Amino acid sequence: MRVSIVSLTCCAGCVSSFLNAGDALLDILSEDFDIVYSPTFIDLKEVPEVDLAIVEGGIRTEEDEKLIKEVRAKSRILVALGICATHGGITSLGNVLSLKTLLEKEYSQIASTKLPELKDMMYPISNFVDVDYYIPGCPPMPFLIIHTLKSIVSGKPPIRHHSVVCTECHRKIVPAKLDRLYGIYEKEADHELCMVSQGFVCLGSMTREGCGAPCPRAGFICFGCRGPPDSLLYRSRDMYAFLVKVMSARTGISEGTVKEELYRNPFIFHTFVFSKLARFQARERVI
Amino acid sequence: MSLKREITISPTTRIEGHGKVTITLNEGGNVSDAYFYATEIRGFDYFLRGMDAERLPFIISRICGVCSTAHVLASVKAIESIYGTEITETARKLRELLLMAQIITNHSLVFFFLTLPDFWFSTEENPSKRNMFQIMREKPEVGKKAVTLRSFSVHLLGVVGKREVHILSAIPGGIINPLKEHERQSLLVQAQEANEIVKEAFTLGKELFERNWGDFKKAGDYKTHYMALTKDDAVEFYDGKISVVNPEGQTVSEFSADDYMEHVEEKTYEWTYAKFAYLKELEWPNGIVQVGSTARMNVNKKMTTGLAYKELNEFKRKFGSPAHTTLLLDYARLIDLLHACERAKELLEDENLTRTDTRVKVTPKAGTGVGVVEAPRGTLAHEYVLTSDGRLESMKLIIPTQLNNAAINLNLKDGAAEFIHKGKVKPGLLNRVEMIVRAYDPCIKCATRQVNEDLTVEVRNSKGELIRIPGSRLESQWLEMGS
Repeated sequence: MRVSIVSLTCCAGCVSSFLNAGDALLDILSEDFDIVYSPTFIDLKEVPEVDLAIVEGGIRTEEDEKLIKEVRAKSRILVALGICATHGGITSLGNVLSLKTLLEKEYSQIASTKLPELKDMMYPISNFVDVDYYIPGCPPMPFLIIHTLKSIVSGKPPIRHHSVVCTECHRKIVPAKLDRLYGIYEKEADHELCMVSQGFVCLGSMTREGCGAPCPRAGFICFGCRGPPDSLLYRSRDMYAFLVKVMSARTGISEGTVKEELYRNPFIFHTFVFSKLARFQARERVI
Repeated sequence: MSLKREITISPTTRIEGHGKVTITLNEGGNVSDAYFYATEIRGFDYFLRGMDAERLPFIISRICGVCSTAHVLASVKAIESIYGTEITETARKLRELLLMAQIITNHSLVFFFLTLPDFWFSTEENPSKRNMFQIMREKPEVGKKAVTLRSFSVHLLGVVGKREVHILSAIPGGIINPLKEHERQSLLVQAQEANEIVKEAFTLGKELFERNWGDFKKAGDYKTHYMALTKDDAVEFYDGKISVVNPEGQTVSEFSADDYMEHVEEKTYEWTYAKFAYLKELEWPNGIVQVGSTARMNVNKKMTTGLAYKELNEFKRKFGSPAHTTLLLDYARLIDLLHACERAKELLEDENLTRTDTRVKVTPKAGTGVGVVEAPRGTLAHEYVLTSDGRLESMKLIIPTQLNNAAINLNLKDGAAEFIHKGKVKPGLLNRVEMIVRAYDPCIKCATRQVNEDLTVEVRNSKGELIRIPGSRLESQWLEMGS
């Protein structure tokens, strides 16, 4: 299978994650993939026709848009790899600032025409082209990437992960009686109890499974990097109310108080806030 | 016919991030200028304002998925400096182990996947074949070794960092979970294997390097100041003070991480989104400084591990100290890699590594603080201003590629001049120019996190039209003929 690996505006973490797959990587490279285009690894400057394009990153510049359209036109199957490609990702936080402010603050001297024009904001790639499979995550775990790609190679539908991270977490959900929420540095997490039941703002209950829950398992909070599960995919405006309900039920703190505390921190939802921009032609395509 | 024109290479390949290079020729057809630029911009420095400090290290690592661990560690150090937190010795060791894993992950990627193809294949090789995937097809055992070495560090990041990319275990106050004894044992077994592989990689790299050295030394040796962390005259990644040597090798400045921002200044140019950083007291352009593998060798007299120390001495004997030739970065990077593998093993052999005192309580405070570590590409500094309610008021980051930015551009000009005389361009120019850029392993993702990215090389005429470099099969693929 002829494959291209394309990076748009991103941190390159998703392709790093793919490279972290160890023996499974060697296997897919020797058995299935003939990687013919990847500016990170290969000295080919033009986008070729391929069977499969793996795209990381979102659309921040006019060049990104031009490139993704060319890649789409020349690829039979297109996979959006990682939360930037599927939802806009962390860079979307920049959408709250106008581009003009950003450039004035940072690059007051830049008036050059040599640099590509910036778009008004960061977009997921689905705003510009059809996507065959979405693998959200920041980054998606190597096994998830490899399993999905292997299925695509063999022509089978990839195994989907439609539920929430809590289903993969070992922690026990026990309704508690707390008087407030806690920051992750404020106390050490209990090893067995649900992070939310301990008052931490863990987003596992509204985040797509498929990662194996490494963050809550380690005593950290889920940051929601896999984006919404099937049930919330097309209901981004309900996500906030959903989290308030879950937090309140598991901590015993009133919904009003939870809401007030969450409201004070606009960054809790960083990966979700802009996901309403993403267009998912069918939830069956989200892995 | 005027020979004044411009050459462009876009995108530059086998580097991390999107880049572009433009070479300008004067009327005599000789190189007058060369620019390496970043065309991407993201805005991290602004959009993270207001974020709670507890979320910051984990989110800021998204600046770069390749050197994310170094960013997390610089970030927690900056926050701890504000809070006045003293972490435990166990936590310090585990963080150093994470940083060694970072060096191994990055350097094995750069050596095998990005730069090895330049040494492995002849310059006549079809460019579509000049890559690691082709080497893996021809010699699967090399691919196997590259992946096994990398897997060791990836496993380290997974076990100690709790995630392989964008680790989460390093938090202000220490490390979130102690290492378990069975984890230490299994990592130690992998460390032994990695140490065997790295020796082979070193031998291979050195052999290929020496074969090509005659050619490589023409690729520019712009003499600048060099800066790196140092501790008791030895190469250090996590602790220590910052030391600067001049082009003659004399130490001209030493300061602590807390004072970093008083010594380093930034400037912007209108043709790139990547800023330039330089030494404030020496002023621009005298204060141009390089960081990274060669700088670590130039600033320091020793390495704390046996084999790497031996190789450092040989390096200094062969190339002098300070060593200036650009492509020595590829050699020095292998010494770093050797050291990181040895040091990781040493740390894992320590039974005290599994002590459970990995975390102390932090007391949030308002204030300004700096965190400095040696990232794979050189000295990395994060400065934060936190408010009394624990939010980020502002930040300033100085990224290695910003410090190296000036040297990359100046070396590019020297390197291009070797290949272009009176309007005649010798074959092999483009890859040569890219090799210079590649040697620095520039991280455009990092240098341009402020607002977006893209690194490109152009040949243009005086009217700004693109021209092709004639006579070369590979080059004609991407260059268009102009006047």
